[in-house]
Amino acid sequence: MPRTAPGRALPVVQGLLCGIFAAAATPTALLAAALLTPSIGIWLLEREPGRPVARCMALCGMAAAAFPLATLWGTGHRLETTLALLADPATVALAWAAQGGGWLLAEMLPLLLSAVSTLQAAARVRALQAARARLEEEWGIPPANPETPTGAMPSGTAPVQT
Amino acid sequence: MAANRTMPQSTSAPATAPSLGFLNPSGSPALLESLDAFCSIDFTAPQAESGGGIAYAARPHRAGQGGLQAICIQPEAPPRAAAMAALAGLAEPGLLAPLACGPAAGPNGAVGWYVICPAPPGPPLWDGSGVPGQPWSEADLITRVLRPAAAALVALERRRVTHRAIRPNNLFLSAPMGPVVLGEAWSAPPASRQPAVLEPPYVSMCPPSARGEGGIADDVYALGAVLLALFLGRMPMAGLPGTQVILRKLDSGCFQAMTDGVRLPPLLGDLLAAMLADDPQRRPPPALLADPAAARARRVAKRPQRRASQPLLVGETPVWNDRMLAYAMARAPQDGMRLLRLGVADHWVRRALGDATLAARLEDAARHHAADAASGEGAQLALCGAIAHLDPLAPLCWDGLALWPDGLGPLLAGLDPQDPALPRVAAMVAAEASTAWAACRPGQPAPPPPRLDARAQRTLLQDRGWTGGLPRLRYALNPLLACRSKLVQGMAVRLVDVVLAMEATAGAASGPTALPADPELVAFLAARQHGRPGPGLAALGPGTPPEELALTLLRVLAPLQGAGAPPAPHLAAWLARTAGGGWDAWHNRALRALKQQQASAAAASGRLAALLPVFDDTAGRRADEAAYQAALAEAARIDAALRALTDPVSLPGSGMRTLARDVAGAVALALLAVCAVAAAAG
Repeated sequence: MPRTAPGRALPVVQGLLCGIFAAAATPTALLAAALLTPSIGIWLLEREPGRPVARCMALCGMAAAAFPLATLWGTGHRLETTLALLADPATVALAWAAQGGGWLLAEMLPLLLSAVSTLQAAARVRALQAARARLEEEWGIPPANPETPTGAMPSGTAPVQT
Repeated sequence: MAANRTMPQSTSAPATAPSLGFLNPSGSPALLESLDAFCSIDFTAPQAESGGGIAYAARPHRAGQGGLQAICIQPEAPPRAAAMAALAGLAEPGLLAPLACGPAAGPNGAVGWYVICPAPPGPPLWDGSGVPGQPWSEADLITRVLRPAAAALVALERRRVTHRAIRPNNLFLSAPMGPVVLGEAWSAPPASRQPAVLEPPYVSMCPPSARGEGGIADDVYALGAVLLALFLGRMPMAGLPGTQVILRKLDSGCFQAMTDGVRLPPLLGDLLAAMLADDPQRRPPPALLADPAAARARRVAKRPQRRASQPLLVGETPVWNDRMLAYAMARAPQDGMRLLRLGVADHWVRRALGDATLAARLEDAARHHAADAASGEGAQLALCGAIAHLDPLAPLCWDGLALWPDGLGPLLAGLDPQDPALPRVAAMVAAEASTAWAACRPGQPAPPPPRLDARAQRTLLQDRGWTGGLPRLRYALNPLLACRSKLVQGMAVRLVDVVLAMEATAGAASGPTALPADPELVAFLAARQHGRPGPGLAALGPGTPPEELALTLLRVLAPLQGAGAPPAPHLAAWLARTAGGGWDAWHNRALRALKQQQASAAAASGRLAALLPVFDDTAGRRADEAAYQAALAEAARIDAALRALTDPVSLPGSGMRTLARDVAGAVALALLAVCAVAAAAG
């Protein structure tokens, strides 16, 4: 009997659990799958360890899906209710927009923090260069090693590549 | 007995070591800062009859004084500082005592040093051309020459000073039939102008500058020789070279050699026999000569002179007695050492002279230094000791040189730097030969001590750097010798002269082209500083940086420029320029600029004392150096911080991205929680 590799066991288990969940709670599974479609797609496409973008999108999508799920569960958990909810464009748009917001949050927050850090580093470099220039002027200390860039922005403070 | 060569050393300081007061211009009337305040010197023409030196007529500024003469001091012949110090203020009618000594602007405007003394009262007994005069009668000799000269010698002896310049052209008639007056003898080393015939052989065998102060007995000898010359109307042994004069005196005795069978009057003959005695201790003292009859009656038993039946050849010279052998060995040291090493000398002394004791001493002297004879120094010490044993009256003889120990200073002053005798003199000092020589002549009175004993001389000689060696020794032994550095152009005799002399050099049209110090000047400064020179001077040498050299010189010269002294702007600028090479030692640029500004202002004022603190600021330099080191550390810290900010390895990029994604996840999770709670609540 062929043995399954350890790294592939988890998706199999996850798929099995999802199947069991879909069979046991079909209205909920259908509604969640429909509302979280963008997150599921990103989840399948993202290759970064831990899938942070998909995770952030899923959490935002689940936040938007909380009210439709509550409606479903409060009305007897029927498939008709699921279809009625999915037929409401506002419900689907809200869930998908929330996931879009999650995507924006996951992509823009690193850029924002990097920009803040770059500005702080540049100010620090300027202060240090001014202090060294004063020392050179006052004490005749030779200029720093030319290999050390003192007039340009630190290269490491460039925008973060995703 | 007082009338011997030991006279000056029988008491302490004055005769041999001039007091500091004499060297201090304000401490003694004998040494002046400038003769212009004392007299006016007529430089139009030298005086024809001055007694030997180049002299000019001088007129005193004070009324009541008679005519004066200014005798020029030659650079290679330093004056007798100790004698002038001892005779300051002496009023002796039979003597031209020194009145002052100091610098004056000479015929060409060049500053020279002069000894001022009274002008001769009349013509000399003989003029300087060597043409003899008419023979003198015995009565005239005793009345007009012997008694007044003896009285002058008594006055000198009382002050522990010798004259050492008694010769016919330096004895002056005070009146047509009056007594004689002893001429000046202070402007040159003692006996340096005396002919060989007028001096004892143990003096004339030395170079003119190395004859030492001697004793009053040497003056008695010279006076006796002058009496004989005046009686004969000619110079005894005229025409003979000095070596032959000495050999004849050593062979047959001075009196016999000088008189050469001439019949003398009984009184004069007895006096001259005593005055021309070979042994200084057998000559009558000057006080006794004042009464010729008493001096005649004083007869001292004379040791019979041994003479060999067969001569011994030393080189080309046949010798007949121990004294001639000593002199021949002194003149030909290589032959002497060979005779000593082969045992020929002691064999000849034992067999030909019959003196077994002296022969044994010669053997001992040769054996004593046989162990290190190969080094040269041991052989010379052996020869020196052998000569002293052979003739205890002889001077110190070393490698062909003969000198009295206190004549070492003038001898060094008279030698050129390239003179071949200089290495021999250095070897003699290094071997402390004078100590060994004195130990080989027991029973003989010690000669006048030099200004420095043998050990001190050796210490100075072996001192490395510019404060040691023969230049230092030369200046230490000659307190009135002018500095020979080109930087002072012969115008500095005392420390206080250095500033003005260097100012003149610095202000010359060509301007100074060399460093402001050289070995001669440093040796001069070290010798003239009382006590040991400071560590700054002692540290100077060929490798000293110019700025350190200038700073050291500034430290020495600044105290010498008194408050009332004229400013020396050229010298100050010279020193500031040279010391300014060390501006780089000041790191703080603002402080350096301030110091340069202060130095320029101080140099313009010409006050070295104002310039000194600008450069001699050890505390400021130390603080500047400490601050500089702190600045370097701060710069290193800044460089490290800049490198850390620009180092790609240490950049927080990926961490920052992960953190941002985690924050985003947390925000989303919080939103989910809020919505879940809100949905559950309905």
